[in-house]
Amino acid sequence: MVTKFDLVFSSSYMNATGMLGFVVNPRHTESARLGAFVTNPISLTRRKPARAPEVISFPGGFLLHTGHPNPGLRAAIQRYSDRWARMEIPVVVHLLCERINEVGSMIERIEKSHSLSAIEIGLPPHVTAATLPAFIQAANSELPLILQIPLERVSGMVEALEKINSNQILSAISLGPPRGILPASDERLVQGRLYGPAIFPQAIAAVRLLANLGIPVIGGGGVYSLSQAEMMMAAGARAVQFDTVLWRGHIPDQGGVLKFTPPV
Amino acid sequence: MREFLATVREIRYDLQRNRIAWIDCPPGAIPQAGQYIQAWMMDDFSAPLASTLFPAQITERGFLTACPVPLIWEPRTRLELHGPNGRGFLLPGGTKRLALASFANTVARLMPLIRPALENEIALAIFSEVLPQEIPAEVEIYPLESLPELLTWPDVLILDLPVKSLSQLRHSLKLAPSDHLPCPAQALIYTCMPCTGLGSCGVCCVPAHRHWKMACQDGPVFDLNDLEW
Repeated sequence: MVTKFDLVFSSSYMNATGMLGFVVNPRHTESARLGAFVTNPISLTRRKPARAPEVISFPGGFLLHTGHPNPGLRAAIQRYSDRWARMEIPVVVHLLCERINEVGSMIERIEKSHSLSAIEIGLPPHVTAATLPAFIQAANSELPLILQIPLERVSGMVEALEKINSNQILSAISLGPPRGILPASDERLVQGRLYGPAIFPQAIAAVRLLANLGIPVIGGGGVYSLSQAEMMMAAGARAVQFDTVLWRGHIPDQGGVLKFTPPV
Repeated sequence: MREFLATVREIRYDLQRNRIAWIDCPPGAIPQAGQYIQAWMMDDFSAPLASTLFPAQITERGFLTACPVPLIWEPRTRLELHGPNGRGFLLPGGTKRLALASFANTVARLMPLIRPALENEIALAIFSEVLPQEIPAEVEIYPLESLPELLTWPDVLILDLPVKSLSQLRHSLKLAPSDHLPCPAQALIYTCMPCTGLGSCGVCCVPAHRHWKMACQDGPVFDLNDLEW
């Protein structure tokens, strides 16, 4: 029996939030299929870009600091809900919640859009293992709910996640990019999300940790080839999110490349 | 997005000791002045980011990069190019006097404008803090600090502007907050554009009136009047 907690996608591969925009860019013209499309993060109110956005490279990856600019939930629904409804694959909206008390109203608004298959919520930085149950309770939704946890916070949340999982509130946990700090060219220290192949070992460890506890997990982080995605599935992931490799337009593998598609 | 195969023909160093490269590629892959193309090394599937290439010189066979290329690139390195991307420079018809000003540490991104301007008998002046190389004798060269005094000379002003310099531009040009430029101006806003517009990632956001624009897809060349500066 399929319940509201079940996520059913035609393919196990999808994009990570922040990688393919709010709707898929029509220039992405190759024709393989993602199992689902995850939108860029959308906050309750409009967010401007960071005052000084940065991309800072390090061996094996890069730090990205953007401020998650977006038009805000109401404007995003107005702008994109028709296009989400026309897409041939399930659309997962990613909500960027900044406060526990706004999550309920954001979910209420997004549920009215009728064009979405699931909601992915980013874990706000101030939510701890102790306050996580209250946050999840506030995020009660009619749609399947995915909680995105930054990689570096997974181990500290494991007990709380195990308890929450037994209550069947969440459909899955997805892994967000870890955060780090690097000096910019002007020597200012910049905090941001870390991407790149160097993240993969940490990501696969987190997948295994959660999967071994019976927590449904959508893997992601540093996956730059199909064989790595398969490794993540073998470690227990139910699905895999690709991140910055999508900007190359295809996922390489020894046996060829998987061309990624514009789900329209 | 269009994809092309290309090859590094030659590695050389410019006057600022930047390691640049001649790229051999099909004509459709050659970015026009102000446009950019994303380059990945073939067979290197673990590269986290593309190298963003602007042209400094354009021939029928390819282009010379305006920006430094990765140390790992050597002659005969095979590349995968995605693009060309973005909006480049557009010289308005009837231009008689053109000023090219670079606020960056290179003039190279403005260089592809020189030949078409001279072929159209446009008087040309370059304003820069760094010495450009291989400049035709007809082109006048001035230090960047003299631009404010000569702002009334050109009928079109073209800028290469790192995004961090945009907020200081009015001060650099010695313009009061209510002053307007005496001529139309286009600015190449130089910033990182890692997602090429596919992700709307927001790294290359540029302040515009009541909103923001993204250099990767709305630019990187903007009409200066469309930006907040």
